[in-house]
Amino acid sequence: MNTRRWVPALWLAVMACGLWFVSTRLSIHSELGDLLPEGVTSTQRLLLSQVRTGLSGRLILVALEGAPPDTLAAISAALGESLRADGRLGFVGNGQQAWPREDLAFITESRYLLSQAVTAERFSEASLRLALEQRLDDLRSPLAPLIKESVPSDPTGEVLSIVQSWSGWDPPTKYRGVWMTADHARALLVVETRVSGFDADAQESIHQNIRARFDEAARSSGASPRLVLSGPGVFAVEIQRTIETEAWRLSTVAAGLVLVFLLFSYRSPRLVLLTLIPISSGIVVGMIAVHWWFGFVHGITVGFGITLLGVVDDYPIHLFSHMTPRDSAHDVMKAIWPTMRLGILTTAIGFSSLLLAGYPALAQLGLLAVVGLLTGAFVTRWVLPACFSQGFVPRDIKQGFPARGNWSRMGSALALIVLVLATSALIWSDTPLWEQDVGSLSPLSDDKKQMDQRLRQELGAPDVRDLLVIEGPTVEDVLVKAEAVMPKLDRLAQSGELAGYDIVSRYLPSYRRQQERQRALPERAVLERNLEAVSKGLPFAPGLFAPFLSAVESARSRQLVDRGAFAGTMMAMKLESLIFSQQDRWVAVAPLRGVADRQQLVATVEQWGEGSVRYVDLKEESNRLMTAYRDRTLQLLGWGLAAIACTLIVGLRSITLVGRVLAPIVCALIVVAAVLRGMGESLSLFHVATFLLVIGLGLDYALFFNRAEGTEDDRTRTRFGLLVCGTTTILVFGVLAFSTIPVLHAIGLTAACGSLSCLAFAALMARRDAHAA
Amino acid sequence: MIFGTTTVSRTLTICVLVLAASAANAAEAPPAQSEQPSHEWTVEQVVLAIKEGRESSVSFEEETFSSLLTKPLIARGVLRFTPPSRLEKDVLEPSHERFVVEGDLVTFESERKRVKRTISLDDYPGLRGFVEAFRAGMTGDAALLKRLYETELEGHRRQWALHLRPRDPAGKAMLHSIQLTGSEGRILSITIRLPDGDRSVMTLSRGHMP
Repeated sequence: MNTRRWVPALWLAVMACGLWFVSTRLSIHSELGDLLPEGVTSTQRLLLSQVRTGLSGRLILVALEGAPPDTLAAISAALGESLRADGRLGFVGNGQQAWPREDLAFITESRYLLSQAVTAERFSEASLRLALEQRLDDLRSPLAPLIKESVPSDPTGEVLSIVQSWSGWDPPTKYRGVWMTADHARALLVVETRVSGFDADAQESIHQNIRARFDEAARSSGASPRLVLSGPGVFAVEIQRTIETEAWRLSTVAAGLVLVFLLFSYRSPRLVLLTLIPISSGIVVGMIAVHWWFGFVHGITVGFGITLLGVVDDYPIHLFSHMTPRDSAHDVMKAIWPTMRLGILTTAIGFSSLLLAGYPALAQLGLLAVVGLLTGAFVTRWVLPACFSQGFVPRDIKQGFPARGNWSRMGSALALIVLVLATSALIWSDTPLWEQDVGSLSPLSDDKKQMDQRLRQELGAPDVRDLLVIEGPTVEDVLVKAEAVMPKLDRLAQSGELAGYDIVSRYLPSYRRQQERQRALPERAVLERNLEAVSKGLPFAPGLFAPFLSAVESARSRQLVDRGAFAGTMMAMKLESLIFSQQDRWVAVAPLRGVADRQQLVATVEQWGEGSVRYVDLKEESNRLMTAYRDRTLQLLGWGLAAIACTLIVGLRSITLVGRVLAPIVCALIVVAAVLRGMGESLSLFHVATFLLVIGLGLDYALFFNRAEGTEDDRTRTRFGLLVCGTTTILVFGVLAFSTIPVLHAIGLTAACGSLSCLAFAALMARRDAHAA
Repeated sequence: MIFGTTTVSRTLTICVLVLAASAANAAEAPPAQSEQPSHEWTVEQVVLAIKEGRESSVSFEEETFSSLLTKPLIARGVLRFTPPSRLEKDVLEPSHERFVVEGDLVTFESERKRVKRTISLDDYPGLRGFVEAFRAGMTGDAALLKRLYETELEGHRRQWALHLRPRDPAGKAMLHSIQLTGSEGRILSITIRLPDGDRSVMTLSRGHMP
C-alpha cells in the first residue's frame, strides 16, 4: 500500500526533473553535418569535410523569372546591392560586383609575383612594344580616365591579367549590367554563405533574408516575378523541414490511431494513459543520455528514436492483457517478468548494434533506443504496477475474442509455402538487392534537382560532384604539384573533356614559381634600355614609366607571397576552401566543371602517373561510404543475432525453444526482404537499421507465444496482448510507410511488414505442447 | 567565386563608337528643309536634321590628346549604322579593332589584343547615357536629349556647335562635355572632353578611306 504512494510520486518527481532538463538544458541540433561520420579512409574524410565546409556546399544559386527582362535586371541590381550589405555572405555575384579596394591594392602590390604572364620574355623589346601599343589603344578609348592612372606603373597590364585569370570562368551573358540567360527569361545571381550549407538554421535565416530583400525589390518594381533558390544549403533546409513536418504530422496521425485502437481494445482511458508512462519515461531518459554522451541531441535522432521506442509500448500492453480480477498487477508483473526480461535484453542487444555502427547518426539513435528501452522496461516493471489500486479489473478480454482454433497445423504448411515463395522472389527478382545510389534517399523532387543542374550550367558554377585532389606534406609541395597539373587541366578543357576548373595555384603561386618570376624580372638598367628602345616613335611623355621601373626593381627582392598575405581580402576565404591541412598533410582540391566522361577522366588522371593527384567523384564516394556503413551495420546485425541467440540459450535453457523463438524472426526477415524487393525497393542502410527493430519486435512476440502458460484463459490473454501489440506497431509504421521521404518510407514499410510477418510466423510456429493440455 | 569585372579597357572604346556611329548617321545630311519658316535654329531642329540626314556609313579620323602623350594619337576607320539600333565602329588604322553595339550588348574585337568579347552596356553607368543620348538624337527625340544633358546651341543653321554636358553624377565622372559641330543636318566633328582635360576630336567625312 505504501509503495502505491511513493513509487508514482518518485516517478513524477524524476520525470519533472527530466522534463525540466530536456526543456532547458538540452541542446537540440539541426545541422545535418553533425550526423555525418568522420570517415575511415582519407578520401572519405576529405569528402565529408568538403560536404561540411567546402565552397560548393556554401553556394546558393538564385534565379529571378516571370517578368520582362528590364524588370528582372532592375530587381537583380537592387537585390545584389542589398545582399552585399549582409555580413553573413562572403560574396554576392549578379554581374555587377566589383573588386574590393583592398583586394586591388594587394594585387597591385604583388603583381610581378602573382601574374602568370611574368616571364623573361615579357620584358623583351618585342613584348614591351606590343604592350605599349596596347596602352595607346586604351588611351584612345573614352574610358581612358579609368585606366590612365595605371599606365605609368603597369604598362604591361599585369593587374588586369591577374584579375582576368582570377575571375576564373566565363561568366553568364549579361543584360543591362546583370547576368541573364541568353533568352532573357531568368536573371541569375550566386551567393556564397560564410556558414556551412548544412547549418540548416543559419542557412534558413539567410534564405529568409534573401526572400525578404527580393520581395522589397519586386514590390517597388510593380511586377510579380518569381524567386528560385537552389543549392546544397537550400536543399538541406528543405530536407530538414520536410522531415520535421512530415515526421510530426505522421507521428500525430499514428499516435491518434494507436490511442483510438487502445481505447477500443481496453475500453479504459485510464489504461491507455498508463501505457504512455513507460514510453515517455524512455524518451526523456534516452534524450538526456544522448545529450550527456554526445553533448547534443540531433532533431532527427529524436524523431526516429521515438519511432524505435514504439516497441516499449508493448510492455505495458502485456501487463494489462494478463491482468485478471484474481491477481494484483504486481503478481501479474512477477509472473510475466522472466519472459519480458528476456525480450527486453535481446531487443537491447539488437539496438546496441546501431551504437557500434560507427555512424554518428545511428549511434545517437542506438543510444537513445537502448537507454529508452531499458528505462521503459524498468518503469513497466517497478512503477507501473504501483499505479493500480488493489483489485483493479480491466475489461475481461475473453469475451468476443476467439479461442485459438485448430488452424495452427494448417498454418505451418502455409508458413512454409510463404517462405519458399519469398525466398524465390528474393533470388529471382530483377530489382537490385542493394541501393547503390545515395541520391535515391534524398527527398528532393527530380524537378528541383534538374533546376539546380540547369542553374549551375547557366551560371557556370562548379558542380558539387567532381574534384581533383592534390596531396602533399607541405603547402609548397602541394602548390608545385598543382602548378604542374594546371597545363594538363587546360589541355582537357581545350579538348572539351572539361568545361573548366578552379585551383589554388591560380591565385597563390608556389615559392618556387615566385622565385622564378623574380629571376625573370630584368635589372633596372636593362629594362630602362629596352623601354627606351621601344618607346622610339611612340608618343609617350619622357620619363613617364619611372614608376614601372622602380616597381619591377623592388619586386626583384620583394618578400614572397604566402597564404597569410591574402588575409583581409575577398580571396582569403576562397583559398581556405581550395587548400587546407588534413591530419599533418596538406590537401588542395580543384573543383571541376562540366566533366564530359567521368570514367575517361579517371583513366586520364591515372595516366598522369602522380599518386598524389587523384580524381574524386564525390557522388561515387558518398555511395561507397554509404555502402561501407551498410555492410558494417549488416555485419553487426549478424553478430547481434548471434549474441541474441546466446542470451536466449541461457535464458530459455532449451535449444529447441531457442529455435522456436528465432525461426519466426528469420522467416519474417526473409519475407520482409522479399516483399520490399517485390515492390521494387532496393535495400538501403535505413532498411537494414529497421531490421533491428523487426528483430526486437519479433523476439517479444515469439517469447510470449512460447511462454509456458497454465490455462487456456492465460493463453487467450497472451494472444490478445500480442495482437494488440502487433496492431499498434503496424498502425504506427503503416502510417510512416506513406511518407514521401524515402528514409521514413523505408523504415515504415520495413517495420510494418516485419511486425506483421513476425506476428504471423510466431503464432504459427509457437510450441504446441503448451496447448496440448 | 570572383567574376570578371575588368572589361574596362575593352569597354572604354564604346563611347567613341557610340558617339561616332550615331554621328555617322548624320554626317552627310541633305540641305535643311527650306520650308522651315523660323529664323531661329533650335536643338529640336538640329536633332531633326541629324535624323533625316543619317547615312549608312561614313569615314572618320580621330585625334586623341592625353597628358601622358607628347602628341595626339590618330585613328582612322569607318562608322556604320543599321536602323533601328545597330551601331558599328571599324577602326582600320593603326590596328584593326571593331565594336558593335546592338541593344544593350557591345561586342568588341581587337586584333592587337587578340580578344573578342561581349559585354553589357550597363556595366558602365556613364556609357548608358551616351547611348541613350545618341539614340535620342537619331530618332529626333530632343526631349530625351535635354533630359540627359544640359544643351547649349551656338551659331546658325549653316555653321552650328552643340554643347552637351551630362546631368547625372555617373556621367559627369566620366565625361566633361561633348561638342558637336556641323552644318545643316551634317555633323562635321565631335569633340569629347574628359574631366582631367584629355580630349578626343573626331572629324567625319563622306565616302570611304583611301
